[in-house]
Amino acid sequence: MKRLFPGFFVLLLTVTFASCSTSDSNTVTPAFRIRWAQDPDNLDPLVVSNGSAFEIANLTYCSLLKGIEGKTDFVPWLAQSFPTTQRLNDSLLLVTYQLRPEATWDNGSPVLARDVAFTLKVMNCPGLPIEMDQAMFGFIRDIRLDSTDARRFTLVCVGQSPDHVRSSGDFSILPEYVLDPQGKLRDITLPNLRQAQPAGPVVADFARRYQALQLQNHPERLPGCGPYRVSGWQKGRYLTLTRKPQWWADTLPAPPHVLQAFPEKLTYQIIPDAATATLALRRGEIDLYSLMPAAEFTRLQQSATDQQRLQFYTTDSHEFLAAGFDVRKSVLRDALTRRALSQLFDVPALIQATQQGAAVASVGLISPRVTAYYHDSLPLLDFSPVAAVELLRQAGWRRAGTGSWTRPNAQGQPEELRLGLSYRAGEPAYETAARQFSAAARGVGIAVELRPTEQSVLSRQLRAGETDMSIRTFSGNPFSYDFTPLLHSKGIGASNTTGFSLPASDQLIEQIAATDDPARKTRLLRKFQLLLHQQRPFTVLYFLRYRVAAARRLSVPVTGLKPGYEAARIRTKVSQP
Amino acid sequence: MRQLCFPRSFSLRQLLAAGWLLLVVGAATWAPSAALAPDLAHISQPPGGTEHWLGTDPQGLDVWGALLQGARTLVLVSVPASLLTLLLGTILGSAAGFLRNSGWQVSWRSLSTLLLTALAALVLGPRLVPASAWLPGVAAGSWILLGRLRLGRRRVAVPLDALVLGLMSLLESVPLLILVLAAAAVQRPSLGGLVVLLSLTCWTTPARLMRAATLQVSAQPYLEAARAAGIPTGRLLVRHIWPNTRHVLLVRFPLTIALLIGLETTLSFLGVGLPPEVSSWGQLLAAVRFAPTAWWLVLWPGIMLVSTILSLHIMAQNQANDVTPTAGILSKINETIID
Repeated sequence: MKRLFPGFFVLLLTVTFASCSTSDSNTVTPAFRIRWAQDPDNLDPLVVSNGSAFEIANLTYCSLLKGIEGKTDFVPWLAQSFPTTQRLNDSLLLVTYQLRPEATWDNGSPVLARDVAFTLKVMNCPGLPIEMDQAMFGFIRDIRLDSTDARRFTLVCVGQSPDHVRSSGDFSILPEYVLDPQGKLRDITLPNLRQAQPAGPVVADFARRYQALQLQNHPERLPGCGPYRVSGWQKGRYLTLTRKPQWWADTLPAPPHVLQAFPEKLTYQIIPDAATATLALRRGEIDLYSLMPAAEFTRLQQSATDQQRLQFYTTDSHEFLAAGFDVRKSVLRDALTRRALSQLFDVPALIQATQQGAAVASVGLISPRVTAYYHDSLPLLDFSPVAAVELLRQAGWRRAGTGSWTRPNAQGQPEELRLGLSYRAGEPAYETAARQFSAAARGVGIAVELRPTEQSVLSRQLRAGETDMSIRTFSGNPFSYDFTPLLHSKGIGASNTTGFSLPASDQLIEQIAATDDPARKTRLLRKFQLLLHQQRPFTVLYFLRYRVAAARRLSVPVTGLKPGYEAARIRTKVSQP
Repeated sequence: MRQLCFPRSFSLRQLLAAGWLLLVVGAATWAPSAALAPDLAHISQPPGGTEHWLGTDPQGLDVWGALLQGARTLVLVSVPASLLTLLLGTILGSAAGFLRNSGWQVSWRSLSTLLLTALAALVLGPRLVPASAWLPGVAAGSWILLGRLRLGRRRVAVPLDALVLGLMSLLESVPLLILVLAAAAVQRPSLGGLVVLLSLTCWTTPARLMRAATLQVSAQPYLEAARAAGIPTGRLLVRHIWPNTRHVLLVRFPLTIALLIGLETTLSFLGVGLPPEVSSWGQLLAAVRFAPTAWWLVLWPGIMLVSTILSLHIMAQNQANDVTPTAGILSKINETIID
């Protein structure tokens, strides 16, 4: 017993010292913690509806091609090379892909052309939530598998635009062996599936089985061929991705940019409040905070303590803040009213107040940085309540004795110009814009009710057309100019939340997507910007600049595409000797 | 029975408290009526500027203006909500304490009608307000139908005391803030909505106090004599019970206002209950989350809030001291104040 006591004492001391010692800052940490403002709305790969969900889809699934900002183009991802194309008569385009031979699913089986065919069938399967896929990929009419090569296939596309070639490879490929192990959908062709109304028993049975998986809450039930799998998700708290121990791209001798995945674990901490997130970053409870509010970012940049612990990145983005109008609402049905309301946004003041001047005003949805396509002849939005009043008068509104504006509606009944303005709660930039607009509107006699709304509720309300006006961001990219999801009549009820569509705008969108002549594309895009400038389904306030703050030990590749960083390529810096 | 002392001379702290409360009411009266317009050229300005002498918040709203408007919001929410709370608590507490479990007898017909109407209200739930026109219809229909069927003429005792106590226990078993937050989540933010919400969730303490006071008074021999003389229940309540229990409310009133001010501020801080255009001190405090170094966003509303609640507690203490604490219930209130 006497010998045991000193031994126990030494052990206790050792344990105490070990637990009290700080970790070595040079040690490579394979797990990174990233701040998210919100959970993914839905992790069903058919319904990727917000930035968080999109980020997870990009890390757990692979598509054929992937857009890389540095190259301002799409590059092969699951495809071995950029697809070859062949025009078939005046309207059809054949896009031929070859899949990487190394690509495999988690069970070791190869990713084959029939998986791509299966994915397209899922995206066109009646009874599943396919509205968004229909809007984005409805131009893919058929797939032809190569009988001699299981990894080779050809997509038959309507339209011959280069954008269609790129978009044709921009959807997550799903594993047939998980969703349809008996291959029951193989006998049904894609054109037959598209035309089958009502769905046959096989399709209906498949849709039932797919829905039963409840992928929106259980993404682990559908493993993709990306480098990560969802290993934990507690809504409102965290989502953890764990790297697959043997991912197929690890066998490549020199994996290209898109096939690099360094972190062993990525933990997304859900911290809705920006101040709490900043505090967590300063305390070292998170490693990376992207899309940081400008004032906080500047404050940390100027703090000597934070400069030692953190590093700061900024980059121009393709995301813009806009005020959207639901054109289906009676009071917002005409362009003059929408233009009048647009005049009540004080954009330069908003840029200064909310972005510390680090944002770019724009005439429309194309960034001024894209000089080739940007319509620089159009005037920037001018804050002018006087002009707003004049436009309201032109739109038929008359000011009543009470100071409010009224006009007869379609039924001849007088209607008052009253608006609800919805925006994501807890976002200071949105709230400031909403308050500024509300004050200006009140000044000219328009009653505006501010409606800060939780993000998922707001998304649902926007899709259901339950808002009058909304302030929100829209994300774009520099590779593709297909506005079908956003503004085409095909997108109404899904991603076209303004409900705007005109025959002329639909035609222009189709023409823009179909053309591969840069000069013609420039002409069409400028015409489209002019049309939007006149019609104002939404008013672009400014293009954002992304701000990323991260722990100094990390090397973070930043990008102008949301979420502002490439999570799979974050690394710990190699310590200097 | 009731013994009231003559008011003592006011102490300095009582004068200060009363003066401060008058200032708050004055601020509420003179606050600008239009919603504040943001001054985007001066966001997060510290105090001392010529245009915004108490500073601005991260959205460019003038802190002085927001404090004045916040005072008005405070008065408009807490005073009506307190009155409603005390009214509800008084009615339910007095009825439960006086009628107990056998003092109220009704016919089956009336009871069934009441239950059916309550069930209909429960089913309508959140749609109660737009659809409340249905409720009188349900009540009348049930009454007529049961009358035609010649059912329910027998009278039955309603266990009112047990019902009220059960309802109070049910409400008090859920933390007040969680209850209010849950209710606020399903209704659109508005001043009126917040008043109703706070009233419906905070009536239990006054009801308990009124029940206890009523029980105490009911046991007095003069009331037994009045009952034996056949004086009707309503008259007993109004003429004999109420004058001897109302001092409980006088002491409770400032405390209820203080409680509701705290709740309103908490809700505004969390961004629920009130529309964003309506300024409040809680909203001003919450703005510090977007400008953590803006100390003035904590200092001014903090001083206002602490001073107001402290003043209300002093006034309640004053009220309690003015009433001779012979009744046990008053010592209980004193304990509440000290807590």
